[in-house]
Amino acid sequence: MSLRVLLVEDDRLLRSSLRDALSVEGYDIRTAASLADARAQSQNALPGDLIDLVLLDLGLPDGDGQALLTELRRSSQIPVIVISAREAEGQKIRMLDEGADDYLVKPFGIGELLARMRVALRRRGHASEPALLHYQHGPLAVDLRLRRVRLGNQDVHLTPTEYALLARLVRQAGQVVTHRQLLTDVWGPEHTEQTHYLRLYMGQLRAKLETDSADPQHLLTEPGVGYRLAEPDVIC
Amino acid sequence: MDFSKRRHPGFALLAWAIAWGAMVTLEGRLDLANLAMGLVLASALSALWLPGWSSMLISAVAVLAFNWFFIPPKFTFTVDLHQNVLLLAALLLVNWIIAVLVIRQRHLTDEARNLATREARLRQWGDTLRDASDPVAHASALRSALQEATGNQVIVSVLHSLGQPMRDGTPVMVGEPDDQQRSGLVLCERDGRAIGAGSGRYDQLDDVYLPLRGRGITLGAALITGLKRHPDSEKLRSHLQALCDQMGSALHRSLMAAQEQQAREQAQLQATRNALLAAISHDYRTPLATIMGAASALQEQGDRLDINQRQRLAAGIVEESERLARLADNTLQLARLDAPGVSLRCDWESTEEIVGAVLRRVRSRPDGNRVGVWVEPHLPLLWCDAILISQLLENLLDNALKYSPSDLPVTLHARGDNGAVVLAVSDQGPGIAPAWQEKVFEAFQRGDTGPRALRASGDRGAGVGLAVCRAIARAHHGCILLRSREEGGSIFECRLPLRGQGQLPPPTIPPETDQ
Repeated sequence: MSLRVLLVEDDRLLRSSLRDALSVEGYDIRTAASLADARAQSQNALPGDLIDLVLLDLGLPDGDGQALLTELRRSSQIPVIVISAREAEGQKIRMLDEGADDYLVKPFGIGELLARMRVALRRRGHASEPALLHYQHGPLAVDLRLRRVRLGNQDVHLTPTEYALLARLVRQAGQVVTHRQLLTDVWGPEHTEQTHYLRLYMGQLRAKLETDSADPQHLLTEPGVGYRLAEPDVIC
Repeated sequence: MDFSKRRHPGFALLAWAIAWGAMVTLEGRLDLANLAMGLVLASALSALWLPGWSSMLISAVAVLAFNWFFIPPKFTFTVDLHQNVLLLAALLLVNWIIAVLVIRQRHLTDEARNLATREARLRQWGDTLRDASDPVAHASALRSALQEATGNQVIVSVLHSLGQPMRDGTPVMVGEPDDQQRSGLVLCERDGRAIGAGSGRYDQLDDVYLPLRGRGITLGAALITGLKRHPDSEKLRSHLQALCDQMGSALHRSLMAAQEQQAREQAQLQATRNALLAAISHDYRTPLATIMGAASALQEQGDRLDINQRQRLAAGIVEESERLARLADNTLQLARLDAPGVSLRCDWESTEEIVGAVLRRVRSRPDGNRVGVWVEPHLPLLWCDAILISQLLENLLDNALKYSPSDLPVTLHARGDNGAVVLAVSDQGPGIAPAWQEKVFEAFQRGDTGPRALRASGDRGAGVGLAVCRAIARAHHGCILLRSREEGGSIFECRLPLRGQGQLPPPTIPPETDQ
């Protein structure tokens, strides 16, 4: 059965080209051009016809996409990918902190969109189970059960904080995790402003895990937003 | 000699005492007419030291006393001889004439001195006006000048603030007027005519309201309380009006200057904006032409093209769309950074991370693999807006890739240098003529709106990209410059202070032991 995606986008051309492109990939696309339309479709869906993922544009004619995200998060963990314009830098981060799964800045390529959707849907599939326990990307392997990090054939020794940081990224591998989320989960909610902690420990992690720390392959930076662990090769 | 300022009744008393002493001593030895000379002398002397009217009174009393003591029959006011009556009358008359002359002399001296003080004050006030620059300073200076001139309480209200024509209508007020005084000031400002004592309007008032008049415009008003009670209020009023008018024309002058300045800036801004718009539309046209060509080919000839041709056209569309997107980002950023009071979203950032993120984006482009990087290990954190710095680096790399042969490397170096991070992008292209090394950044800077600069940068295609780089570097209190490499090619070097906004360094984090 194909996955149902609700595309909330007010621009007609973008909406129809995305619908075509995603339909080709086998998704069942529902579209909404306004907040009211999107609300109606997400709330009135029949039990057998529930939406699996929402692609949400921020600037809609009858309001802000943020309102819909808040409503959705009240009742469900349905994956939401935010589509934002470049001007909405601050809002993008707020949306992520409020539970959006990922974001894309317009304009974006379809390949990028499909990758983000894949990651978001995969996470949803695991939502009821324990988080991702094994991460593999190229030579890097992380086993959360055994608390073990390997690079090729070698074990890598991490400090407790380095490990906590990596494990947090592994739990959301392929998705961006904001500075605030990382600081809250690794250091505690009273440290959400201490981004220099992150810079230091991410630097140490890159030094230990990347071949060239100025050209990282695993630990990717989203400037001004947070970090993203590269999408894993396989799911174990 | 300054008489009026030194009124010493003591000296006058002394003069009279000596004169009476002499007259009593010399009585009998001199005749009456000679004795009377002592009286005249004393009266003249005392007039110098006593106020005019009292000196006249005292002279009269002295003449009577002379009659009582010296003129027979003694100790009566009766006079026997006619000639003695004449003597007394002459005495009184001479004394009074002397007193009147002294009074007039004093009056003239006072007047001359007042005139001199007022002239000095006007001159000094003119100097003050030249030095002061803001309306409140002007207003309080005027207030002190008026208060010094009158010794009375003064309130000054300046209607138009300098530099900008009044819009909100709130005058700058120096002093605390009550409601009635406030409406008096407003009325005076509105009509541009004096109100109150001696002005012909509301003459019954004790106070006077004087307008601050410029050329054909009233820019405020001053209230001088209790001027009516002031001696010589009429002359003083015209002096005060002169002071006020000096203020008025000074205000008017600076108002005009400010308006002129504003108009000039507006015109310059408009010219810059036009140049910018022309350049941006030029920059947009090139990728749009490619997209239009490729997309219309796909639309109209799609079924006649083979799969490879279609693929190539589509790739062209994607690539040029990405270019357009970057261009849009740059345009947006340039507009944002050009606005006054732009706020950056600064944080402690790692140069290595920013470089890594930019590299990943650039390497995803068709010829992005030519880019090599080297980042100095253990660089301190940089206080900056990560998104802007990434944009700066991407623009520099973009520029280097575009203007160097596609088989030669482009390198990005990041190193620390004396409290700053230096980001250098070098290519091995043809380089840029020294004459253009400054201008590549300047095509859109204010003031440089000549068609030559515009065309040259347009031809190079640097467009907004490098202008944004400079704007970003400057917003971070840094700088960017272009050098020629000795071995050919160019180096764009951006220098960013580690603590651009004077931010304190982040506290050090205690090290951890390994697991």
